[in-house]
Amino acid sequence: MKTITTMSLALSTAVILLASSCSKDNNDVTPVVSKLTTKTVADLDGSTGNVYYSLSTGTQVTGADTATNKWDLKFKSTSIFVNSGTSGIGTTQGQVVSSTFETLLAAPADGYKADATGANAITGWYTYTADTAPTHAILTVPGKIFVIKTSAGNYAKVEMISYYKGNPNTTTADFADLTKRPASRFYTFRFAYQGDGTTSFK
Amino acid sequence: MHIYISLFLLTALTVTNARAQQRDTLKKDSASRQLKEVVITGTRTLKSLQQVPIPITRITSEEIKKRGLVRLNEVLSEQTGMTILDDPHGQGIQIQGFDPAYTLILIDGLPLIGRSTGILELSRITTNNIDRIEIVKGPTSSLYGSEAMAGVVNIITNEPVKGFTGGLAGRYGTNKTADLSVNSAYKTDKFYISGFVNRYSSGGYTLQPSSGVPTVSPFEGYTFNGKTAYKFDDNTSLRLSVRYYTNNQDSRFLVDDNRYAAGKGTEKDFNIAPVLTHRFSKKDVSVLQLYRSTYKTNSDIRYEDNGSVYDQTYFNQTFNRGEIQNDYALTGNLKLTAGAGGQYETVEATRYTKQQSFTSGYGYFQADWLPVKKLDIIAGGRYDAHSVYKSQFSPKLAASYALSSKLTILGSAGKGYKAPDFRQLYLNFTNAEVGYSVFGYEEAAAGIQRLQQEGQIETVLIDPSTLKRLNAESSTSFNFGYRYKPTDKLYWTTNVFRNNIDNLIETAAIAIKTNGQSVFSYFNLNKVFTQGIETDLSYQLFKPLQVAAGFQYLEAYDQDVLDQIKAGEVFTKDPETNLTKVIKRSDYGGLLGRSKYTWNVRVNYLDEKTGINVSVRAIYRGRYGYKDSDGNGIVNRDDEYTKGYVLVNASLSKMFMKDAIRVQLTAQNLLNYKDSLVILNLPGRLIYAGLAYNFSK
Repeated sequence: MKTITTMSLALSTAVILLASSCSKDNNDVTPVVSKLTTKTVADLDGSTGNVYYSLSTGTQVTGADTATNKWDLKFKSTSIFVNSGTSGIGTTQGQVVSSTFETLLAAPADGYKADATGANAITGWYTYTADTAPTHAILTVPGKIFVIKTSAGNYAKVEMISYYKGNPNTTTADFADLTKRPASRFYTFRFAYQGDGTTSFK
Repeated sequence: MHIYISLFLLTALTVTNARAQQRDTLKKDSASRQLKEVVITGTRTLKSLQQVPIPITRITSEEIKKRGLVRLNEVLSEQTGMTILDDPHGQGIQIQGFDPAYTLILIDGLPLIGRSTGILELSRITTNNIDRIEIVKGPTSSLYGSEAMAGVVNIITNEPVKGFTGGLAGRYGTNKTADLSVNSAYKTDKFYISGFVNRYSSGGYTLQPSSGVPTVSPFEGYTFNGKTAYKFDDNTSLRLSVRYYTNNQDSRFLVDDNRYAAGKGTEKDFNIAPVLTHRFSKKDVSVLQLYRSTYKTNSDIRYEDNGSVYDQTYFNQTFNRGEIQNDYALTGNLKLTAGAGGQYETVEATRYTKQQSFTSGYGYFQADWLPVKKLDIIAGGRYDAHSVYKSQFSPKLAASYALSSKLTILGSAGKGYKAPDFRQLYLNFTNAEVGYSVFGYEEAAAGIQRLQQEGQIETVLIDPSTLKRLNAESSTSFNFGYRYKPTDKLYWTTNVFRNNIDNLIETAAIAIKTNGQSVFSYFNLNKVFTQGIETDLSYQLFKPLQVAAGFQYLEAYDQDVLDQIKAGEVFTKDPETNLTKVIKRSDYGGLLGRSKYTWNVRVNYLDEKTGINVSVRAIYRGRYGYKDSDGNGIVNRDDEYTKGYVLVNASLSKMFMKDAIRVQLTAQNLLNYKDSLVILNLPGRLIYAGLAYNFSK
């Protein structure tokens, strides 16, 4: 099961990459060298505490670096923080737009917010099922794409995929069974980071 | 109360003395039934079932008894194009894709009140003392006013026959569910009096035995019904009917991890209606009708551990009406009906700031014209003026044409409306556990101001002073179909329908509280439509065997969602990859709780020689959306639907002593279908034994 999920994830990522490169070839008359990097991060482990991530390097940030502006996103349970305002010393800002990941081809010009008390820039990315089956689950909401403006002024788009280890299918009986449900606070997400400072995600 | 007891005793005494036996309705031959096939609900005048130009179903007491059914929800759940919805607020009826709030429930033409979030619990109504049920589909607001948007279910109670009559009936079975009735009547040429008592009780059931909490708690309900009429002369008569219903239910909840709360809830419903009928001439009849109805509930739920109050509520509603209707036959082929009335309604409840009241007045008019014998045209309209919301005009035009003596085609177009109810206007409610608040439109400004003064408001999303006045919900509907009766053995009806519903009232957040919860109020928001086709066919295969089947195809969509889907703004997650996808029109499953496909098959075998009747029905309800698990607010993914299911109900009965006694075995949900997480009104297989006795002398 897990291998199938991972394989399908890998496959779909490959398809997406292929699709985006295809569209680039088709649309641009004079191809420019885009600095767009797309990556799927599987099971970023936040089960033992806060976890920090840098979109520019595509790696987890740990240790003393978590007190710097080197990270962009921080995951803590169901809260996602950007490195600014009440959350960090950086100037990372963000907003949530309604779109699919693939069709969001440019970052909005404005609308970015820093984190503030009780008002994070990134909200509304999950639903809590409470007593509806699958009970007490955190499910990612479709069409919520985070657009992040990093401390360096570069843009990235992020889609949350899963809150559970192994990115499980949340519609199965196994997932509904609380004794069989994979561990939570394992974040799977994909992002595209534009390193050239433009708002383009092509 | 003591009147009923003496009535009961009277009946009990007479039973032992009875000499002559009354034929049970079970075996009435079909010829006499055909003659009596008239209906009143569609036009508020008696009309032949074949001719009336709107979709109407007529269920006789005979049919209900053959099936061993005793409550209105049981009867309606087996009808083509009707679905009983499972809801924590009660079992209500869905007609043409409308929620239960949009179907008016009448007893002898007078509306029942007492709804919980729009749902009138249908098991409140016994079918033991009725003559027939008439169901009109499509809007009948042109005659009945508010709430009659999807249709009307009219329960027509028994008229006694001459002499002294009476009977006893009982049914007992699974879950200690018992239904007992006693009736007695006396009638002369000028006068009649009849009494009816019913007791309906159950031990309840649980779908989650490990929880220690009942799904349906034990209850005990009583219905008392008394009717009397006096004919002054050939032209003037007076009738008085009184109905009282009371129900006690013990409930028990799991409040949080280990705390239980329990207590008693009481429900009381009282109706009284004097009706004076006077015939000025053969052509001119007037009916003056007064009606008062009250509905009261009371509940006191306490924590089991320390006896402190968990929830203590009451709800008192009254409805008063005076109405006069005049029927005038202008010529042989043109009949005019006109009526006018006034209503006064009040509500007082824990969740309302103070006693609230409505006054309204209305007038209606209808012309029933047969320009040629084969063509029947009905045009009419009703105007409602109301003290709180905008006045409504509901016109209607309907026609039927007999292509031959066997085939009639019919079509109608009309407007229906539903007034904002007390809850939508005056509710003042804060959920003690979760902490959200809901204010009716009229309470919103004061409510927000109060919460602001208490420092409970974080942000106001919509300034209450900018709220638009709440309007009635309205629909424009079209029905078109035929009735085909080539022989006495075959009867086939089909109806195609479309309802465009506007100004649906929904809740939306108007402020965010400091506790992170929202403050909600009511708005005229959505535009939805329902459309579909319904068909029903019955055939007398050979003398004792009748087979019948019904089918409905239904679509019910939110127009705003369709527009958003068209604009590519609605998303889902692929369950395999959890990646976002755009939703297509074909992915959209429509409104919650609507099955696209429903059908039923009915077989009845009656052996007149032995008095044995076998009735078997299979009722299918196709899958329907019941939740939104992918967070886009609509039904689209397979896991958001229930499974479709078939219920098989059957009844076996035998008559004894010249049809005076009926012994019956009834089973509901023979296949024992359950979906204990989703469908809470299906306790599994139910087996009942029944006995009925009737007499006349």
